[in-house]
Amino acid sequence: MKINLKLLGGMLFMLPLTMAAQSPISGFMKAKGEGSITVTQSREDYNDVFLVPNKVNSVPVFNEVTTKSVSLYAEYGFSDRLNFVVSLPYIQTTGEATPATLANNGFENERSGFQDVSIYGKYKIKSYEIMSGNLDIIGALGVETPLGNYNVDEGLQSIIAIGNRSTDITGLAIANYKHNSGFFAIGQLGYSLRSNEVPNAVISELKLGYAASVIYGDIYIANQLSGSDGVDILGEGFTGFFPATQVNYTRIGANMFVPIVKGFGLTAGINTYIEGRNLGDSTGAYSGISYSF
Amino acid sequence: MEFLTHFNQQITKTIIIMKNIYKKFGIALAFSSVLLTATSCETSSSYEDELPSIANIAVSNDAFSTLEAAAINGGVAGVLSNSNPNDASGDYTVFAPNNSAFARLGLDESTLGVLQTPFLTNTLLYHVSNGNLPSSAIAADGTSASALGGLTRRFINRDGSLFINGSKIIATDITAENGTVHVIDKVMIATGGNVVESAIALQSASVFKTPELSYLVEAVVFAGLADALSNPAAKFTVFAPNDQAFINLGAALGLTFDEPSDVRMIDKDLLTAVLLNHVFADTSKDSFTSELNAGSYDALGDDNIRLGAYNNGVLTVSGSGNGTPANMVIPDVQTTNGIVHVIDQVLLPVL
Repeated sequence: MKINLKLLGGMLFMLPLTMAAQSPISGFMKAKGEGSITVTQSREDYNDVFLVPNKVNSVPVFNEVTTKSVSLYAEYGFSDRLNFVVSLPYIQTTGEATPATLANNGFENERSGFQDVSIYGKYKIKSYEIMSGNLDIIGALGVETPLGNYNVDEGLQSIIAIGNRSTDITGLAIANYKHNSGFFAIGQLGYSLRSNEVPNAVISELKLGYAASVIYGDIYIANQLSGSDGVDILGEGFTGFFPATQVNYTRIGANMFVPIVKGFGLTAGINTYIEGRNLGDSTGAYSGISYSF
Repeated sequence: MEFLTHFNQQITKTIIIMKNIYKKFGIALAFSSVLLTATSCETSSSYEDELPSIANIAVSNDAFSTLEAAAINGGVAGVLSNSNPNDASGDYTVFAPNNSAFARLGLDESTLGVLQTPFLTNTLLYHVSNGNLPSSAIAADGTSASALGGLTRRFINRDGSLFINGSKIIATDITAENGTVHVIDKVMIATGGNVVESAIALQSASVFKTPELSYLVEAVVFAGLADALSNPAAKFTVFAPNDQAFINLGAALGLTFDEPSDVRMIDKDLLTAVLLNHVFADTSKDSFTSELNAGSYDALGDDNIRLGAYNNGVLTVSGSGNGTPANMVIPDVQTTNGIVHVIDQVLLPVL
């Protein structure tokens, strides 16, 4: 079955917008002159937090946290081999601290703003026709840096900070195997150098899916292993500065995309954590619309 | 049965094996290794055997949610996350009041704001000491210096139970990465000042954000007893009527007390005599509730102080003129020259 890559392109690249749960870029390439613009809205909730050594069932201070975001995602094929990807999320986090707790500590139940802009270049190194399909080997390099002037140093208020104020440089190796039937598998492995005391991290992802001209669907498992120079929340070395914490996770999710008409398509997905360290055990969903050209 | 047991064991074994595989490699690795041999996965195995910090214990345990809120509000959550820089062992020992302990004072996460933050911080530090103090090293009649300026707490055996000050130790030796936690059933309070200074601290809203013991302070000053009650050599046991107790007394006497200075409407000699009936005559030893028993005790005044039975950490208190006994609302406040139990009635002689 022939895969309509042009249409698929629209959604394949906005998927990462679900709060860094997935790799920042997809494993599919756009052809020269093709591009896509995608807008998504997402919502995640958690009241359990992965602390060390145990998960706790209520977020300190804020009890329950909801994160909503609206993200803009654009991708353009500079050539068949070189693509550029830009993303920008606006994020709002809301806590459920009691009025008394807010008053006692001088805290607020909401933080919002533009988070970090990211720009990636993606280069197709090799392409092989094997096993009734196609294997692409892709290398990607990107930078992500705070755009908004959000705070991360407000003590425990920063439990609901919208980001880390870290500038990250991330390199990724991607292998994408597409079978002619439409089934595909994409593996990614990368390393991210991070500033503002945020520990560097190894990120990886495996995605399995089916892509055809009328529908796209995938399931994935994504993982981050952050450097052990990070501290644990409420552990030795913890000063209340959350960016310095060691954040590890394993997350699973599913995405789907349906082309509608004239380059427009709708997308939606769900995701949740199955394991983690120093982050909320959140479950979320997103939906969005994309336009491909 | 035997078959079922065997079956269960097999299932348990299988689960353990699967868990080990998962721990060792991680689900993600099992998947990812198909394409990426070098991938590894976040699993709990690397740290589930680690000990929580004292702060983490408070956060993780529902019975300590008020303590958690207090520690955050009082600014000691970060301190108790880390090892103790003031002790070679790096450890702290914390006597942790559970939620019921705070509730005795009407305190929970939503009402902690009635307290001044510096007082809250000091109160928390009074529950902390440097180094490990396991229950095996705690002996009745011993003392322990707190992290609040070294103010000491004392250990008391009552009916086979161990107390620290007036607080019963209800669980011991919870081991944390940075020390040891024992659970107590009452919040311990130490003012760092003498009896009079402590009352003034309450009156001047240094403890609660709204003044308390204002009428008592006014009465003590009016009666000229401030100097006597400031005697650093004494060890007073004081029953301190709260503001409502004085307002009620005024009403009983046919007077209207609108402000503390209204206590001056009472005859000074009578007021002095009444106040002296609120202090044990024996000033060689002060007493926490854990050291008090039902009975009649000589007061500094002419009357006796009668205590009811010890019941769940408190005793009722009455003078010979009280129709119903007074209750303790804030027992076991440690001052530098005595122990103050705040009560809800003025102790009256037969008038």
